[in-house]
Amino acid sequence: MKWLGVKWRSSILFRVISTTFLLSIVLISLVGSILFIQISNGIYREKTNESLSEAQSLYEYAQGQLDATLYLPSLKVPAVVAKILHSNDLTLATTPREVVLLGSPLAKKVNDKYNGASDNVDFNSIPDSLRVSVRGLGTAKWIRGEIGFQDGTKRSAIIVGHVIEVPPQSPYELYYVFLLTEQQTIVDFIGRLLLFAGFLLVFMIGGISWYVIRQAINPIKDAAEIAEQLTAGDLNRRMQVTGEDEMTRLAISFNEMALSMQQQISRLENLSRLQQRFVSDVSHELRTPLTTIRMASDVITESKGRMDPAAARSAELLQSQIIRFESLLTDLLEVSRFDASASILELKDVDIKSLVLQSIDQMQVGHTGQIRTYFPESEVVASVDPRRIERVLRNLISNAIDHSEGQAIDITIKDTDIEVAVGVRDYGIGFTERESERLFDRFWRADPSRSRLRGGTGLGLSIALDDAKLHQGTLKAWGAPGKGANFVLTVPKAPGIPIQEEPIAANPNNESSTSFLSFDEDDI
Amino acid sequence: MTLIMVVDDDQDLAEMLGIVLNGSGFEVDLVNSGDQVMAIFNSHEPDLVLLDVMLPGISGIEVCKLIREKSMVPIVMLTAKGDSYDVVKGLEAGADDYMIKPFNLAELVARIKVRLRRSNVESSTTLRICDIVIDQVAHTIIRNGKTIPLTRLEFDLLVALAKEPGRVFTRDALLSEVWGYQHAADTRLVNVHVQRLRAKVEEDVDNPQVVLTVRGVGYKAGTSQT
Repeated sequence: MKWLGVKWRSSILFRVISTTFLLSIVLISLVGSILFIQISNGIYREKTNESLSEAQSLYEYAQGQLDATLYLPSLKVPAVVAKILHSNDLTLATTPREVVLLGSPLAKKVNDKYNGASDNVDFNSIPDSLRVSVRGLGTAKWIRGEIGFQDGTKRSAIIVGHVIEVPPQSPYELYYVFLLTEQQTIVDFIGRLLLFAGFLLVFMIGGISWYVIRQAINPIKDAAEIAEQLTAGDLNRRMQVTGEDEMTRLAISFNEMALSMQQQISRLENLSRLQQRFVSDVSHELRTPLTTIRMASDVITESKGRMDPAAARSAELLQSQIIRFESLLTDLLEVSRFDASASILELKDVDIKSLVLQSIDQMQVGHTGQIRTYFPESEVVASVDPRRIERVLRNLISNAIDHSEGQAIDITIKDTDIEVAVGVRDYGIGFTERESERLFDRFWRADPSRSRLRGGTGLGLSIALDDAKLHQGTLKAWGAPGKGANFVLTVPKAPGIPIQEEPIAANPNNESSTSFLSFDEDDI
Repeated sequence: MTLIMVVDDDQDLAEMLGIVLNGSGFEVDLVNSGDQVMAIFNSHEPDLVLLDVMLPGISGIEVCKLIREKSMVPIVMLTAKGDSYDVVKGLEAGADDYMIKPFNLAELVARIKVRLRRSNVESSTTLRICDIVIDQVAHTIIRNGKTIPLTRLEFDLLVALAKEPGRVFTRDALLSEVWGYQHAADTRLVNVHVQRLRAKVEEDVDNPQVVLTVRGVGYKAGTSQT
C-alpha cells in the first residue's frame, strides 16, 4: 500500500495509467452490461413469443380433447390427461417442453385426481405468483423463472399457464414449461465473449495510454535527468533537440538555460581563480623585497651594540615586525593554497604523542601555568601530514596559553582503531556565543590585545580548520566566559577511512555551555 | 678567497646579498640578468652560484643547465615559490639545493657553507660500491679505470651511502647527512638527486645496482664486488 502511495505521488506515468485503467474498467463494464442485457433480452423475447404461441395451440388442442370426452364415449378422461401430460413424447416437439397439470383452487372442492407432470418435473415448483395470476383471468399467463425437478435440480424456463376445464366440471391449471437450456448456453457464451472483449479493451487502452504518455513524458524525464547531472556539476550536459514540437521547445530553452548557467559559473570561477591568483602573486611578489629587508635588518641588528638606545630598540622592533610580517605572508600563502584547493597532504606514519610533546616544548616558553597531559600509555600511530598536524597543535596550544590567564592547561589524547583525537582545554577567559561564531574567521581576534603578544597572525584557527578538513577530520570548539575553552582535533588514523566517532567530546563534562561549535566536512 | 656568484634581477636584493656575504668573508660577483651569466662565469670561475629561478631573459633553469654543461660548481637556487614546479625543474637541471625567500642571513650562510665544505679530510680510505671505486682524497670516482665526473653534492651523496654499506638511509637522514638540514625538509631534493646520480653511475638506469631503492623507506648502497 505504501509503495502504491509513493508510486502515485512520484510517477506521472503510474498515475495516468492507473487512472486510465480504472476509468476504462468502469466505462467498459457499463457498456458491456447494457449490451449483454439487450442481447439476452432479445434472445429470451423471441423464445417467449414462440413458447406462447405454441402453448396456446397446445392448450386449445388439450381443451378440445377434454371437451370431446363428453361426446365421444370412446375417449376416457384419464387417457386424455395422460396424453396431454406426455404430449412431448408423442409428438415430435420442436423445443423441449414439460407439462404440469394441477387441480385449481377455483373449484369449491379442489379436485386433484388428475394432478401430474411430464417426466420428472416437480409439480409443486410452479411459482405461486403465477398460479394466482392464472386463476385471475381466463387468459394465458406466463413468467420466466425456474422449474424444479424431482432430483432437486432447477432449470431456467418459460412457464405458460392456462385454466383448463376437465370434465366433469373440475377446473385445472395446465402449465407448459419451455426449458431455456439452449438460450442459456447462448447467453452465457455471449457473456463470456463480452467479458473477454472487455478485458482485452481495458488492457489495450492501458497499453496505448502507456505508450502515448511515455512519448510525452520521456523528454521530461530526460530533462530531469540532465538537470540532475547539471546540478551534480557536469555542466556540459545538454538535451537532444529533434523535430519542431513542444518538447523540442522545452529542449531548446532548457539548453539555453544550461548554457547561460555554465557561462555564469565559469565567469564566477574565473573571477575567483583570478582573485586567488592575485593573492598568491601578491604574496610571492612581496617575498623578494622582504628578503632584502630581512637581511638588511639582520645586518643592522648585528651592529646593535654600537647604536644609541633609541636606535637599538628601533632595530629590535624592526626585526620582530619583519618576522611577524613574514609569518603573515606564509599564512596568507597557505590560505590562498587552501582556497585554490592546491593543498596536498604529505602523509607519514607518526606517533601523535611525540608530535604533541614537540609542540608543547616549542610553545610553553613563557607560560607560567602548568601543562598537564593525559596520554595513552602506548604509542598512538597515525598516518597524517606531520607538518600540518604540528601546526594545528602549536596553534591550539598557543591559543590556550594566550587565553589561560596563567592557569593550567589540559592536553588529552584519546584514540580508537579508526581515529585519534587531541583535546586542548584551558580554564581561562573562554568565549561568548557571539564570539564563537567568528572564532574560525580569518583575521578575527576575540581580544586584539592578547594574541598579538605571541605574534599570532589571526589566520591560525582558520588554517587549523582547513588542515583538519584536509585530513578529513574535524576541529570543534567549546567555550564559556570565565570557564575556559576546549578545542578538539579529530583525524582518521589512516587516510580515506572517515572518522566515525569523536573519542573526546568538545563539550567537557557536558557543562552547560554558551557556545558549542562544530565544523566538519559539510560546513562552509 | 671564496668567490660566490649572485644572479638575481632584483638589484637591491643582489646588493644586499653582496653586503651580507662580504660580511661573512666571501667575495661576491653580482649578475643581474641571465644573458651575462656565462661570460662572467667563464672568466671568474666562481666557487658557488646563488641563482634566482625567475630571471628575465634566459630563465634560471636554463642558466642552471648552461653552467652544468661546463662545471660541477655547487648551485643554490633562490625562489619565491617553494612548492612550485620550477623547483623540481631547477633541481633536475642540476641545482644542488634551493632556498625559499624570505630567508635569513644565518640560514643562507649555513647553506652556503655546507655546499662548500670539503668532504671529511680525515677519511683517506678508498670506498667501493659495486665496481665503482671512490677516492675520497682525490674526490673522484672511477669505474674500470675511467673517471666519472660528479658534482660535489652527488659525490657526497654517494660517499654517504658507501660509508655504511648495510644501512638503509631514509630521505630525512640523507637530507641531514648530505644537505645539512636539521629539521624536516623537502624530500624532492633527495629524489631528484638520486635520479641524477643514477643517470651518471648506473649502467642501466631502469635497473639500478649502485643506489638501491628500499620501498617505503629510502635508499641504500649496492653490494660491492671484491
